[in-house]
Amino acid sequence: MNTDPPENAPLRKIIHIDMDAFYASVEQRDNPELRGKPVAVGGSSGRGVVAAASYEARQFGVRSAMPSVTAKRRCPDLIFVRARFDIYRAVSNQIRAIFRSYTDLVEPLSLDEAYLDVTDYRKLPTATAVAEEIRERIEEATGLTASAGVSYNKFIAKIASDQNKPNGICVVTPKQGPAFVARLPVRRFHGIGPKTAEKMKRMGIETGADLGAQSLEFLQANFGKSARYYYRAARGMDDRQVKPDRVRKSLGAERTYGQDLKTREAMVAKLADVADVVWERAQKSESFGRTVTLKLRYADFETPTRARSLPEPVASRDELLAVGTALLDTLIPDQRGVRLLGLTMSGFGVAEDADGETETAQFGLEL
Amino acid sequence: MKATIERAVLLKSLGHVQSVVERRNTIPILSNVLIEAVEGGGIKLMATDLDLQIVETVEAQVEQAGATTVSAHTLFDIVRKLPEGSQVSLEAAEGKMAVNAGRARFNLSTLPRDDFPVIAEGDLPTVFEIPAATLREIVDKTRFAISTEETRYYLNGIFFHVTDDDQPVLKAAATDGHRLARFTLPRPDGAEGMPDVIIPRKCIAELRKMLDELDGTVEIALSDSKVRFGLGTAVMTSKLIDGTFPDYNRVIPTGNDKLLKIDPRSFEEGVDRVATIATEKTRAVKMALDTDKITLSVTSPENGTASEEVAGQYGSDGFEIGFNARYLLDILGQVQGDAIEVHLADAAAPTLIRENDKASALYVLMPMRV
Repeated sequence: MNTDPPENAPLRKIIHIDMDAFYASVEQRDNPELRGKPVAVGGSSGRGVVAAASYEARQFGVRSAMPSVTAKRRCPDLIFVRARFDIYRAVSNQIRAIFRSYTDLVEPLSLDEAYLDVTDYRKLPTATAVAEEIRERIEEATGLTASAGVSYNKFIAKIASDQNKPNGICVVTPKQGPAFVARLPVRRFHGIGPKTAEKMKRMGIETGADLGAQSLEFLQANFGKSARYYYRAARGMDDRQVKPDRVRKSLGAERTYGQDLKTREAMVAKLADVADVVWERAQKSESFGRTVTLKLRYADFETPTRARSLPEPVASRDELLAVGTALLDTLIPDQRGVRLLGLTMSGFGVAEDADGETETAQFGLEL
Repeated sequence: MKATIERAVLLKSLGHVQSVVERRNTIPILSNVLIEAVEGGGIKLMATDLDLQIVETVEAQVEQAGATTVSAHTLFDIVRKLPEGSQVSLEAAEGKMAVNAGRARFNLSTLPRDDFPVIAEGDLPTVFEIPAATLREIVDKTRFAISTEETRYYLNGIFFHVTDDDQPVLKAAATDGHRLARFTLPRPDGAEGMPDVIIPRKCIAELRKMLDELDGTVEIALSDSKVRFGLGTAVMTSKLIDGTFPDYNRVIPTGNDKLLKIDPRSFEEGVDRVATIATEKTRAVKMALDTDKITLSVTSPENGTASEEVAGQYGSDGFEIGFNARYLLDILGQVQGDAIEVHLADAAAPTLIRENDKASALYVLMPMRV
């Protein structure tokens, strides 16, 4: 199948908006005492991790997803604040409302970032003007700053929004695109993680230019399925559409425990808490999946997952927990304790197979 | 404890009891088999998973009565490898059990017999007998429909209940929500007033294995929470599923007006052939009904298409309906005779399959959207 866009496809105008140190900035906004100070949102206790760090904290090398213990070592004055997700969600709704006043083509990636396709917005002459206006309106409405990347596809727009952070904007025109990409370290490419970057480095590929110098055949031989994406991205090409109201693929929650869980009773009790959280979120978004996945981390960090698909979407919190418990029982007893438990629901909506075709449906007896 | 037993006898009996023992156990003693030598009474072997227990008594020369427990799977593996025709001596003392046969010597760790859990049967007020052959038939014709979905635990077994139709009957039913299998037999003497019971899948599976080697009759004793099967030299006791089986009668269609009569063998073979190209995921077979013939077909996006025409008696309006091939084959594999009745209504309604209206077995199958 040919997925190339026609070469004469009209040029698109894509904006990527990313809030600056979102959770931490909200906390600093609401508590003046935190302003100008290194702040981390997240638990400070033994196994907590930093969910977000203020720019003051980042100067000390504090990063999100870093264990709180490490963060505290790097920045002894770091102030830990408990996350208030309901507030972040409310702010997120405010900014999404602003986005939607420009286009219906809004693809939120998380609470604090989204892609917008403003190709058809005619009231302002350029996408840059739109992005600037959005940033102003966000600051007006929420007192928070956002950074924007403006370009002709999602790949470059996302990288661009990071370029002049915080409170900055970066525009990459189609003409500048290839040169912009050529200078990028490959690690900045979406989808190239530390391991792939390391592998590329061993092959002498460190920048977009290095990547662009490789043949598609070479990339396919070494990186398989992702080759085509790398090949095109290195040339500044990305035809992925901005997908409004991204269809949810999964919904889940996990918890890490301060003390390893040793008994089945303790695990089931904790799993029940996780099921409560997942179920509450499922009800809020009215998304009920047919597949339940249990994730478990043993004390030695081995992290197996087990999944089961049901004929019908999970119907209740108790059913979710029952399936989760049944999956748990396939992994225990085990002498190692358990330090993390997670539950995820997936398989929403109409059952589709890998080809996107609707599965033939088995009717059920009305028992 | 000291006893000598023929290897073949011990092996057969261990084979029965060890399959009850789960491979992974939180409670160490549940991995063990209880061996009890009774003065002048042979030895008793017993295994349990706390829900199901089997006790089998076998002939042995007992020199000294006593009891101990050792790993069931280990002992089974040992005895399996002992020379054929050998005499096996079992001797327990000081926390060990010696197993000697020919020149082979084993000394196995034991756990105290007093720690071995025994299912308390309690009072089992309902007692009746069923010929082993009949019980085999009941199980074979219903067990394939037992649900494996643990969230609907009350479907994870065969439901037995007595009722008065034209005459007093005992019915066994199983369903997984897509198909239902029911077997009806005249109510055995003693089964009157029997509580409704759901016998769990694992018990059914172990029971079925035992029935292979059994002639004569099986004594069934039960209460509303336990069931006990007397199987010759073995006694199997199981907890029952504590739940309410749904009122399955309401899904058995009574007004299906389109009747297909067809030879189950050619039907089965046709379905099996066209299903060869069906993907593991869908397994859907389309059945187009026309005057006195049906056309079975499968369309697979990956593999291509297949179709086969099968002759049958059909006089109603033609239409198309889809079924899961495996479900059809499960049912067709259980019907005998040279004609079966398929009672249809429409492409989304429950379909009834039986040999005829006198047949003991009846099947209801939900179609698939194709």
